[in-house]
Amino acid sequence: MYKKIGTVVLSVFLAVALAACGNSSNNAGNEATNKPAESDAATAPASNEKKTKIVYWTGDRHDMDYIKEVIQSFNDTNDSNIEVEMVVKTDDYNQAIDLAFASGQAPDLLRVKENTIQAYVTKGYLAPIDDLMTEKMKQEFPLIQDFNQIGGKVYSLPNYGSTLRLVYNKELFAKAGIASPPKSLAEMVDAAKKITEVGKADGAYGFALNFKSPDSAFGRSARVIAEVSGIGGFGYDFKTARFDFTGFKDIIQAYKQMYDDGSTLPGMEALDIDPLRAQFAEGKIGMYISFSSEPGVYKNQFPAKIEWAAAPVPSIDGTIKGVSSFVGGQWLAINSSSKNQEAAWKFMEYMYADEILKTYHEKGFGISMVPSISAVASKPDINGIEGFLPTENDGTWPLNPTVTVEGIKSNDAFFKYMLGEGNLDEIIKDLNTRYNAALDKAIASGEVKAEPKPDFDPMKLGAK
Amino acid sequence: MKTEAIPYTNKNMRRNPFREGGWGGRVLLWIFLLATALLILFPIVVTLFGSFMSNAELTTGGAILPSVWHFENFAEAWVQANFSRFTWNSLMLSGVTTIGTLIVASMAAYVVDRMNFPGKALFVAIQASTMFISIGAVVIRPQYELMIKLHLHTSLWGVILILISGHAYIFFILLSFLKGISRELDEAARIDGCSNAGIFWKIILPLLRPGLGVGALFTFCGAWNEYLRPLVFTMNTPELQTLTVGLSYLRYGASAAVQTHYMLAGACLSILPLLIVYMIANKSFMQMTAGSLKG
Amino acid sequence: MNKVRQIGFSYAFLFPSFILTLVLGIYPLGWAIRYMFYDYKGYGEAKFTGFYNFQRLLRDTQYWESVVNTFVYAGGKLIITIPLCLALAVILNQKLKGRNFLRAIYFMPTIISSAVMAVVFFIIFNSYNGILNQYLMKFNIISERIDWLGPKHAMMTTILIAVWGAVGNYMLLFLAGLQNIPNDVYESASLDGANKRQQFWYLTIPMLGPVLQIVIMLAIINSLKGYETIMVLTEGGPIGKTEVMYLYVYKLFFPTPSSGTVVDQQFGYGSAVGFTTAVIVGIITLLYHMLSKRLNKMQ
Repeated sequence: MYKKIGTVVLSVFLAVALAACGNSSNNAGNEATNKPAESDAATAPASNEKKTKIVYWTGDRHDMDYIKEVIQSFNDTNDSNIEVEMVVKTDDYNQAIDLAFASGQAPDLLRVKENTIQAYVTKGYLAPIDDLMTEKMKQEFPLIQDFNQIGGKVYSLPNYGSTLRLVYNKELFAKAGIASPPKSLAEMVDAAKKITEVGKADGAYGFALNFKSPDSAFGRSARVIAEVSGIGGFGYDFKTARFDFTGFKDIIQAYKQMYDDGSTLPGMEALDIDPLRAQFAEGKIGMYISFSSEPGVYKNQFPAKIEWAAAPVPSIDGTIKGVSSFVGGQWLAINSSSKNQEAAWKFMEYMYADEILKTYHEKGFGISMVPSISAVASKPDINGIEGFLPTENDGTWPLNPTVTVEGIKSNDAFFKYMLGEGNLDEIIKDLNTRYNAALDKAIASGEVKAEPKPDFDPMKLGAK
Repeated sequence: MKTEAIPYTNKNMRRNPFREGGWGGRVLLWIFLLATALLILFPIVVTLFGSFMSNAELTTGGAILPSVWHFENFAEAWVQANFSRFTWNSLMLSGVTTIGTLIVASMAAYVVDRMNFPGKALFVAIQASTMFISIGAVVIRPQYELMIKLHLHTSLWGVILILISGHAYIFFILLSFLKGISRELDEAARIDGCSNAGIFWKIILPLLRPGLGVGALFTFCGAWNEYLRPLVFTMNTPELQTLTVGLSYLRYGASAAVQTHYMLAGACLSILPLLIVYMIANKSFMQMTAGSLKG
Repeated sequence: MNKVRQIGFSYAFLFPSFILTLVLGIYPLGWAIRYMFYDYKGYGEAKFTGFYNFQRLLRDTQYWESVVNTFVYAGGKLIITIPLCLALAVILNQKLKGRNFLRAIYFMPTIISSAVMAVVFFIIFNSYNGILNQYLMKFNIISERIDWLGPKHAMMTTILIAVWGAVGNYMLLFLAGLQNIPNDVYESASLDGANKRQQFWYLTIPMLGPVLQIVIMLAIINSLKGYETIMVLTEGGPIGKTEVMYLYVYKLFFPTPSSGTVVDQQFGYGSAVGFTTAVIVGIITLLYHMLSKRLNKMQ
């Protein structure tokens, strides 16, 4: 009796649920014809039964409108009856990719990045494209070890990349009587001090970085200062195949000097990159170091109220001993388990056409990494981009080995020192010990191969 | 009521205004209430005004009122986050989750509080443990793989079931309210020949209304703000996405910086349906309008 | 009543709750937790490493600092939230002009997404030109900027923000709990000459007892678990001053990708830390449970 009533309750619940369910699926059915703007690129009549539908996922939103156009014209013009649907994901793109592959829901094509492609290859997500590439493509696109060519096979090709520069406020530099952007750490510390002296009354400070995330702050600044000084940007010495943070000592000390001098924006400890940019646009920051996405921000989002420019980052002592990172080398890749690899490749070939890559560069979505494109394309139509365009001193450093380190990470330890905790020599010694222990462990387990390259030359890197 | 009011005026008014019931006490009370309300409201006011600013002005910070009112932020947020469609999906997801959670949790709470059966302590322990063993998003993978087996991975049904399964919090809330409901009532009903299920329906549930109201509100808000699961389950069915997922599209636009102004506008818009739900739920606390303590 | 029948009825009523919890709650947890004895990166082969992850945990000072931080955070949040919410609930349970309006205001923080509010709180609290510092300086309350989100004050600021977000929740729970107390109890008490303070301590608190007990338990668990707002506002910084246990766990599973380094997911170690954290929260919950039982008996 009681059980019966229990089941009655349950079935009432189920009935309610099912009613709602029917409701929802009807709704989905009705509205499927009217897909949201995010998801569909093509509303071409799907009457033809033989239409091959392929799905492309990307985490890029900055170029969405342009890529939509490109896909639309592909869908309209391709003669193989292929229809591409683009899905633009947001913050949790990486997580969604992993889940999608784990469950057989993955797209046919996906956007890969410089810090995901290696893992995706290891996980078996991606199909090599060596056999598909035409001779022309093989000549045109630079192959970059670890970034599109992994384990001897090519998985993706470059489109655009990011360079790193010192972004500086010309007006504040002039006001402080500084003739040119700093070339060494000493000049940078000095410039920051001078700018703060003349600017403080109006709330302007010499230097800032987004130390809310020390990884992000050092990863865009100390890293590249080390690189142009001939030191691996993440503490890994490619010559000896060991970790050695000794080279960071001067850099971190210079940062601490600026912080102690009061030449940095107050509250920098909790600063995120966007508030930093907004303050820079207002003329409150003398200089900072960042990627080539900055000009776009000052054009679209935070209109700069000041004259600014970008210059090569300073090196430790003023002499250039290595190339400045040109980050990138990959764009689209094909899902190894896709049933439509052929169609996917057709679309990929289309996307890598000269005309599309050229327009991509000229519209300022990203600086082309393909020499044959950058040779002919005109300057992107964005103020401030000149300083970011690659020179002979921009190149791609090899990938440093990924190791799982016990204890505090190098960037967090350095930031702690900046705020006044500990002794830098001891910190570096401790980092070297722990990072190398982790490296040895990774080598022993076969995850990482680290071989010394005695003739490694940081001045001759990347594909040019 | 009258009997209550008289002694206060007689005894206290003349002696000390800060004694209870005196005008001084009332002033202090209102100062406390309004100060708290101001502190609570201030960040919300900043959000509201911020949603009318340009991104540059908002991110630069420092101002409360916008220098130029950008009403188009709301239009832009509405379009970019696909509000009209996604709101419906969110309502359906949150509504069904709420009903399901309340039914499942109240049935369990009822038998745990009022019945004796072997394994009761174990059941309560399991419920409690689901609350503190939380390793967040990690569990999504096995949950998703389970839903693939049940063929529920491309609809919101999978999400709804998962959200209902997280009813421990509501279970404990209802349990606490049940403890406060006198057992004499069910004994009397039982003597009148009412069955266990009958007591649950006719006696317990109506008396549990305040608890159910709060539970409904919390569940609804929780489901409404759930982000990762709807995102994952609608990976390939974008037309089923919920508002929270849609709002995340507002983060990035034409360049690398976050579109904070659209995010705030979107947040302001998405509060409205929740406020309506609050009004409805609030009625369940209203049932005893004759104040228990007078001020 | 027939005992067997009662048991059967109980199981029938428990069934939906039990099966959902087991399949969608416990099983996925077990799935994830089993990696605590492995070296696993989220893909590929999981290598059995015995108790290595736990040995590493014992010497992981960052984690143990985050445990201390969590206690400060949770303690600070509870000490302010619970009395404040109780007071608000008791006051707003009276006949009071505008009480529905006030309730709605206090409840509003609960319904706004914490990610958005973290952005707004940065606008309010940032040291350089945050609204708070500006007004404090304008009215000459302070002469130097206070670094609300700096290493010294960040924890206090996060606690205040957590209180802000929790007031509505617990006020509503208490308010709903107060509905269970019949009016006539108060009426007869005031007829007996009990004043308001006496009514509060000798009537409201005991009668609110069961609700109070469980709500405090939920509040303890919640404040030990909460990390979302901190994640967006400070990411646990500066220099780990606002790092809490579950944020630390989260970062092991889902590290923030940064340019130049390959994302290093530590599933195995993350599971071990997650499990240990759950045990810590479990022990505290248990201690609270025992304490409140003993207090009950004393009364």
